[in-house]
Parts: sequence; structure tokens; C-alpha cells
Amino acid sequence: MIQNIIQFIKSIFTDASKNMRITLYILLGLTALFGIFAVQILGWGLGYTDMDNNFAWGAWIIGDLVLVALGGGAFTTGYLLYIFRVDKLKPIINSTVLLGFLCYLFTFVFLLFDLGQPIRAWFGFAYPNWGTGVYPVSMLTEVFFCLSLYFCILVVELIPTILEHKVLIQNKIIKAIAHYMHLLMWTMAAAGTFLSFFHQASLGGGMWGALYGKAVWYSPYFFYLAVVAAIAGGTSFMVMVPYIAGKLMKKEYVPMETYQTLTRVSGMVFIGYLSFRLFDIYKAITHYAPMSGREYFDMWGGYYGVWMLATELILCVVAIVLLNPAKLRNQEKFMVIGASSAIGAIVMSKLSVLLHGFSAPNFPWKGFTSYWPTIQEWFITLGALSIMVLVYMAFVKWFPLFPHVEEHDEHH
Amino acid sequence: MTVKDVAMKRRWGMAIDLDKCIGCGQCAVACSQENNMPIFEDDSDVPKRVAFLELMKVTNDRDAKFPDVRTAFIPKMCQMCEGNDPANPDPPCVSVCPVVATDVGDDGVVSQIWSRCIGCRYCQAACPYEARVFNWWKPRYEGSFKNSLNSDVSISSRGTIVKCTFCSHRWKQARDKAVAEGNLDINAPVYKTACQTACPVGAIVFGDLDEAGSELSKLVASDNAVRLTNSIDDLPEDKQKAFLKVKQFPNPKVYYLTSQSWLRDMMRFKKNS
Repeated sequence: MIQNIIQFIKSIFTDASKNMRITLYILLGLTALFGIFAVQILGWGLGYTDMDNNFAWGAWIIGDLVLVALGGGAFTTGYLLYIFRVDKLKPIINSTVLLGFLCYLFTFVFLLFDLGQPIRAWFGFAYPNWGTGVYPVSMLTEVFFCLSLYFCILVVELIPTILEHKVLIQNKIIKAIAHYMHLLMWTMAAAGTFLSFFHQASLGGGMWGALYGKAVWYSPYFFYLAVVAAIAGGTSFMVMVPYIAGKLMKKEYVPMETYQTLTRVSGMVFIGYLSFRLFDIYKAITHYAPMSGREYFDMWGGYYGVWMLATELILCVVAIVLLNPAKLRNQEKFMVIGASSAIGAIVMSKLSVLLHGFSAPNFPWKGFTSYWPTIQEWFITLGALSIMVLVYMAFVKWFPLFPHVEEHDEHH
Repeated sequence: MTVKDVAMKRRWGMAIDLDKCIGCGQCAVACSQENNMPIFEDDSDVPKRVAFLELMKVTNDRDAKFPDVRTAFIPKMCQMCEGNDPANPDPPCVSVCPVVATDVGDDGVVSQIWSRCIGCRYCQAACPYEARVFNWWKPRYEGSFKNSLNSDVSISSRGTIVKCTFCSHRWKQARDKAVAEGNLDINAPVYKTACQTACPVGAIVFGDLDEAGSELSKLVASDNAVRLTNSIDDLPEDKQKAFLKVKQFPNPKVYYLTSQSWLRDMMRFKKNS
């Protein structure tokens, strides 16, 4: 038995091409470093990070914001497929669910690392700051509950993909379960979309917009803006990952028209996102920054200057210009550039929320501060990403992640 | 009189006279000792240091030469924000806590339960005064410092947020004493904070902001009083009212007194600086 396993693991490496072997070694190395530094951070505390009393959050919260926003493509795609019956999206749905699952799983992992007392994480459920209303008082309480519930939904959505493994599916009961789960998946998609609206809004935006003492962040619109951002950027992310996987494996995992359907959604929503974002910036300049006695553009400075805002807006424009006209979107290279800019715009906006927000001085006599992750933070972040890549690769190899391809192969 | 009949009337606040302050740092030392702040062999990593009271040095112009150079020291602790409505206080840090580890009492003091805190640092991000500190390392007390720990303040564990509580354990002591003497009126006992008692020039005045005729209420009402970066204070009254309707403001309960105009300017963000 053990020899079989060793043989199996050996075969993974010997069967792979040279480039794939190198990639695997790098990813596994990063994963090992993740493990080592995880022990250090969880065992000896956050002193080993570059965060401090002024720069309270760092790389992992950036990771959270980016992963949740991009993982938001999962609920959008699920909603479009199961509720709106956009059947063109069928070939991509399994990959989308897996990506959503991985994004959220590692959001939890990052959040856990960021807690000073990870063992007390359950306090979030046991002593929630809910107040007396229907909606919780603390945005993080909302994040705790919504994120966990939505993660459960993603797990349920992922189960059929695992059950449809070519060995498992031969069992009649498993086949029946997988079949009926598929039929009932629309309930999950609906519930997932409902929940996603809340935690996308709270973790992505409301969490920052609610901080009324901080002029850099305070915005009544940020809560809603984050939902639009997740739909806009997430859909492009869900396109780019299987696209890159397909390019690397030299296989057409997902038909082009599926990609084009999703990027079309992304492009359209980006028009809304950009207009909303510009309105948000306009209100900040004219209303909310002056109310707190600050000038909006004075708050941008140091390393994380106004170039971040400019880059974000330019990337938004590129995504809109390349993804909206069918003439451009239907050309593969423009679609790829457009979708990448879309992802870039969302990543940039999350980076600037955090880096610019914390670097801006709280006292007039203080200067802008900066942050550079320590090796512990780098390797935990990169290690987490490589685990995500490894799991995705494993699913591509052994599970029916792209049922379209297998059906295609069977026909030949 | 029964305890039931007693309504809390206290609204603790502070006034610090910056014209009197000589920047000796006694307040910071006394605070750290009173509140069991950890002591590390090397405490030079200022942004990660655990101290409730930070003595901030401010000068009018870094390049100024004698006699134009002006310097002042601002002792900064938790400013005990109360939001727009003193009757219904809403400090920026309290509503954000996901586990109700921090709360604002009916005496207006923002408290922190260290054993409840999960260390997410959301309150730290929310605080406009950088008044909350995090135990980045396990608190340590080198050598004989362990023997001088204050038994009235619990020692926090690694990975939790701690903050100034206006030495409310001292108030508890005063209340206990009053009860032992048979006085059940919660509004009767008064107390002094550690920083106030340590100040050699009497620059720190602590007391009840609502108590008419007290030294504190007089100081706070004077023209010299100014609150840190709370820009809404400078606006005409009608504009203030309009702003308060739209958005919450921190409205801290710590006032700084100064007759020097450059220092007052220093406490506000300048345009296009």
C-alpha cells in the first residue's frame, strides 16, 4: 500500500515534462516554507511581521481583500448559470466553484494568521457584536457569519465535482447523489448570491467606509462599491485562470465563447464600477475629506501616492475599452489584455485601500509611513498562493473540472 | 438611599496645559508603571512599543534657528471620543469590534477587555489618534520589574489590544472605599489618574466635564482649549450643526490648553501642505 503511494507520487514527477517538474518543485518548496513560517507566526506571534501600531494590517489583509473580491466571480457565474440559465457558462462552472472555494478557504487562512489570538477565533461567533438591529453593528461580525455560511455553500457546490470522479461515479448511489445535487444547485447559487452581496460589501468596502474617524477611508458608498467591484473583477478572474491553465496544458479546456460571455459581463459591469468609483472620488474630494478637515489629494503621498489611484482608473478604462465592443472582445489577445487589466484594476484598488490608507498620517506633524512585508509575511502569502495553484492543478489532472473536454474526448 | 436610585452623572474628561508642560515624561513613566506595561531589553522599536501614553514632540519648523524655533510636548493618551451625541456615545473604535471586547461606559470611558480581544486590530485601524496598542510580542518584565507589578491591572497576553482607561481601576478603588464607609452614591467618589499625579507642574487636570464650576469645566470652556485634529471645532455653529447631521465626528473628551497660535495651528491639518 505504502509502496503504491510512493510509486504514485514518483510517477507524478517522472510523467511530467521538465518545465512542469520545475514548477512543481518551486510550488512545493514555497508550500514547505509556508508551513515553517506558519509555525513561527502562530507560535511566537505577530512581532515577526512588519506591521506595527500605526500600520495595523499588511500583506494578509491585502490577500483577503483581493481573494474575496476575485472569488466573487464564483457567485456571479453561478447566478448567471443557475438562475438566468446562461448555458454557455456550463463548461466553466466547476472551475469557477473550485476557484471560489480556494479563494475563500485562503481568506480564512489569512484572517487566522492576522489574529493576534487565533485560538480565540470562535469568539466571533460566540460573542458577536450584533447590537439590537437586524444588521450587525460591526462589519467584521458580518464578515464572520456571512463568510462562513458562504464557504459552506461553496463546499456543497464543489461536492458534485468530486463525486463525478471517474472511479467514484461508477457507484450508483454516488451517481444519483451527484445528479440530484446538480438539479438542486440553483438553490445554492441563489443563497450564495444573497450572502455574497453582504460579505462582499462588508469586507471589501463597508469595513473601511465605516471608519468615521479616519478621513482616508470614510465613505458612505464604499459598502456598495465593493459589490460592484467583485462582480466586475471576479468574472474576469474566473476567465483568466482556466485560460492560463489551458494555455499551459495546450488544451482547450473551455470554449472561447464561454470566456467571451463572462468577459462581456465583466466589461459591462466595469462601466458601472468606473462611474460609481468616480462619483465616490468626487464626493470624497468635495464633501467628506473637507468635512474631516483634510484635502483629498493631500492624503495621497509617500510611496503610495496618487499614482495608485491613476493606475487603478487607467486599468478600469482599458478593461472597459477592450471588453465592451464585440469586435475587440472576440479577438483573443484583446480579451486577455482586457481581462488582465480588469483583475489589475481590482487588485490595485485593494492595494491602495490598505497601503495608502495606513500610510496617511493621523497627525499634522507626522509624515507618511511605509510598509514592507518581512520574509515571514512574504512566504506565508506566496506559500498560500502556491497551495491554491497546486490544488487547482490536482483538480485539473484528476477530477472532472472541465466536463466539456471529457465529453469532447469521448466523442472522438 | 438604595443603589437603584443612583444614576451615573460622571463624564470623565481631561485638560492638559501645554504651556505648562516641560516634556519631562513623568506622565508616560507613571502610566506605564501603573498599567503594567511590558518592559523589553530593547524598546527602541517605537512603532511596536506597548505604551498607553505617548509624549509627542512638536516643533514649528524643523529648520528654524534660535530664536525662531518653538517646541512643545503633547502627552497623548486615549482621547475618549464620544461621537456626536454625549448622551449616546459612539466612539469610532467601539462599534467596529467583532467580539464586543471594547465598550464605552456610562461614565464615558472607553474600556477594553483584554481577555476577550481576539487581536484583529480593527479598532486600531479605526482609531484616529493612534491610541490603541497591540502586544506584538509576549509581554515581558525584565529582572525585578516583576515585583513592582500593579495587582489592580490585569496583565494582557500576546496578541491583544490594550489601551488607556483613564486609570479606571483607581476609580474602582475609590468606590470600594466609599462603599466601605457606607456611602453608596456612585457619583460621590472622585479620583486622580496616574499621569495626573505624576506631573510635577500640574499640567494635567482630570475630572468630570459635566460638573458645573469645577476647575476642568472652566479650563475646557476657555479660549485656550483645543482638541486634537477635531476640525469641526473651528467651524461656525450653524455649519457645525449641519455637519453633525451628515456624519459622526470623534469629539474627544481630552482638551489641550495653549495660548500659542503656532501650536494651535499645528493641531489642524493645513491645506496643501
